Amino acid sequence: MDDATLALVGLSHHTAPIELRERVYVDAASVRDTVREVMASTAIHECVVLSTCNRTEFYLHAADPASAEAVAIDAVAARTDMGPGEVEAFLYHRYGHDAVHHLFRVAGGLDSLVVGEAEILGQVGDAYEMGLSLPDSVGPVLHRLFQSAQAVGGAVRSETSLGRGAASIPSAAVRLAAKVFGSLEGKSAMVVGAGEMGVTTLRCLLSEGISDVLVANRTLDRAKETVAQIGGRAISLEDVWGTISDVDIVVTSTSAAEPVVTHDRLESSRGQAGSPLVVLDIALPRDVEPGVGGLPGVFLYNIDDLQKVVGATEEARRAEAAPAETLVTDHATRFWRWYRSREVGPLIRGLRAHGEEIRLAELERLLVGLDGLSESDRERIEAATRRLLNKLLHPSTVALRQAAADPNAIGFIDRLSAELRLATGSGQAQGATEDEIESSGPADGSADAENEETNEARG
Amino acid sequence: MILGLHLLAFVLYATAWVLQLQGFRGGRQPGISGVRVVGGGLAVHAAGLLLYALSYRSLPLVGLGPASSSLALFISLFVLAASVRTDLRAAGLFLLPLVLLLLGEAVVVGIEPTGRQIAFRGPWFVLHVSAIFIGFAGLAAASAASIMYVFQFRALKRKTFGSVFGFFPALDSLDRLNKVGLAVGFPALSVGLLAGWSWTLTFGRGLALDNPGTILGIVTWAAYLVAIAARSRPGPRGERAAVISAVAFLVTLVAFLALRITARETGFFL
Repeated sequence: MDDATLALVGLSHHTAPIELRERVYVDAASVRDTVREVMASTAIHECVVLSTCNRTEFYLHAADPASAEAVAIDAVAARTDMGPGEVEAFLYHRYGHDAVHHLFRVAGGLDSLVVGEAEILGQVGDAYEMGLSLPDSVGPVLHRLFQSAQAVGGAVRSETSLGRGAASIPSAAVRLAAKVFGSLEGKSAMVVGAGEMGVTTLRCLLSEGISDVLVANRTLDRAKETVAQIGGRAISLEDVWGTISDVDIVVTSTSAAEPVVTHDRLESSRGQAGSPLVVLDIALPRDVEPGVGGLPGVFLYNIDDLQKVVGATEEARRAEAAPAETLVTDHATRFWRWYRSREVGPLIRGLRAHGEEIRLAELERLLVGLDGLSESDRERIEAATRRLLNKLLHPSTVALRQAAADPNAIGFIDRLSAELRLATGSGQAQGATEDEIESSGPADGSADAENEETNEARG
Repeated sequence: MILGLHLLAFVLYATAWVLQLQGFRGGRQPGISGVRVVGGGLAVHAAGLLLYALSYRSLPLVGLGPASSSLALFISLFVLAASVRTDLRAAGLFLLPLVLLLLGEAVVVGIEPTGRQIAFRGPWFVLHVSAIFIGFAGLAAASAASIMYVFQFRALKRKTFGSVFGFFPALDSLDRLNKVGLAVGFPALSVGLLAGWSWTLTFGRGLALDNPGTILGIVTWAAYLVAIAARSRPGPRGERAAVISAVAFLVTLVAFLALRITARETGFFL
């Protein structure tokens, strides 16, 4: 039997500070070297590196988990100024079923900083694609593991409400604007202060179909730089009041100590404007006088209001986490059943071969003393022994397959495998190659059982 | 069979409303399942009224039961039409109870022709009642939109991001539904009133101002004329139009109940 197993070594926002995560982060340019470095160990059959701003994880299919783990720890430590012993304090390790369950939770967004965020699913897909592009990095086990992880991530989003709602300040801003305007297609927006948060919010609005963008900044050059990145028109702060009545959404994110948008200026600028205006003040200290929210047709939200929307989403997502966890657990169990059944396939074949060997030997011994038997009688005896063997092995085969799905039965399978090796005096139970496993039928391992059951039926 | 189909339609509409309530409690926009249930209810309901027309060789426009059922059908048509836009599916939260009330009344009083069937016929009468029903259905949709607008507007202004914020559509969508409801309902009501007047002229009578139906029609027409006028004034019109539409609905409802209570004759729509 193959002793290889799945192993995971990694760190995330749960275990490591951002400074360490930044250093350990493996970008697309260096992932090839990192994987090559890890795969240099003969203990490791397959390797995929998942690295985002919140986590770096090594998924390994390895013959010797302890050696594989040491290699991965070295790879992480090499990216820091710490030794393997020091960096280990920030790492977590998962094996077998737990590693599968962890990856499925990650793909489902359940392990994310913002629970339910969708970006991680794409990142899991990217890690897998990167692995595929590297020679020998992804074999049959990680191939199926990552394909399953992507399917689980998709199912979590389509079958539960975990991904709904706005889970960040920019997405909350979009949601509020959308609750006023419906579709944001064709609407216009102005960002006052070309800070990072303001521009991020503007990008979010642009992705929803905002067509006309104005960027106002104290220094016009900075506004022009921003416009060069995201499009639109740059204006100075003095020009804001001449154009504010023409826009639908205003995002303010200056570092001014005093309010930039005042009640009186906005009231006189808007006049009798009929269309609503959404003002999103994401600056601290605030850029907009609170009284602005009292103007007819003006909807004012500050950073606390946006945080309230995010909070409501997080609360709803926590409620949806339970069904998502159940879904992940079900899929992890299913994957694990396939993985273990794939491992017991060679054991079952070895068991059957051993039985067949005994049957043929005993048959030969029996037939030596029965020379007067006709050909048809010989065939009948042979068929009877075959039936007998099949009937004797059937319950063991079924029990092995069931045991394969049970993480607690690993010891039992290992012992049986060792006994069989002793009985046959060979490595027969270990002898199946990956190709044999892959060609033995559907990946859930059902083909072996089906073949055996068909044989039994024939018998 | 006619009653059975009506009962089934009632159950389907009620199920759709329960789905809407569940969505409202969870602060989530309604899913497609509720729309399918409304569609199923509408199909069964239409089959029930078609069977009525075939069985009695008369359109279900006369008598309290048939007329209530027909009006309910027109309103549920608006619910389904509004649901084409995902964000307007929530309109059923307010319109489906109206459908259930009318259909429930039809089931209770019986969906059968009255003795007046012979008097109430002819193209003018059919045009009069059909147009009035389309008018009422359109105005009901406009009113539902306006009531939801007022709630959503308050939620957005007061920054209460609960069930109303999550379940009710965007202000712009509600304003559009209000506009479409008025654009369909008001002209249809006007045509209905004129057709009714023309129909009474065929009997050599003038405008029957002592008829509760006529009074209700005129009150509704006037109330919604004010709502339309409110839309055309300059300045932020959404909230103003919504409030006036909601008031128009209340005026119509109060007039309907008052006329219903004081009506001398029973068995009519009023």
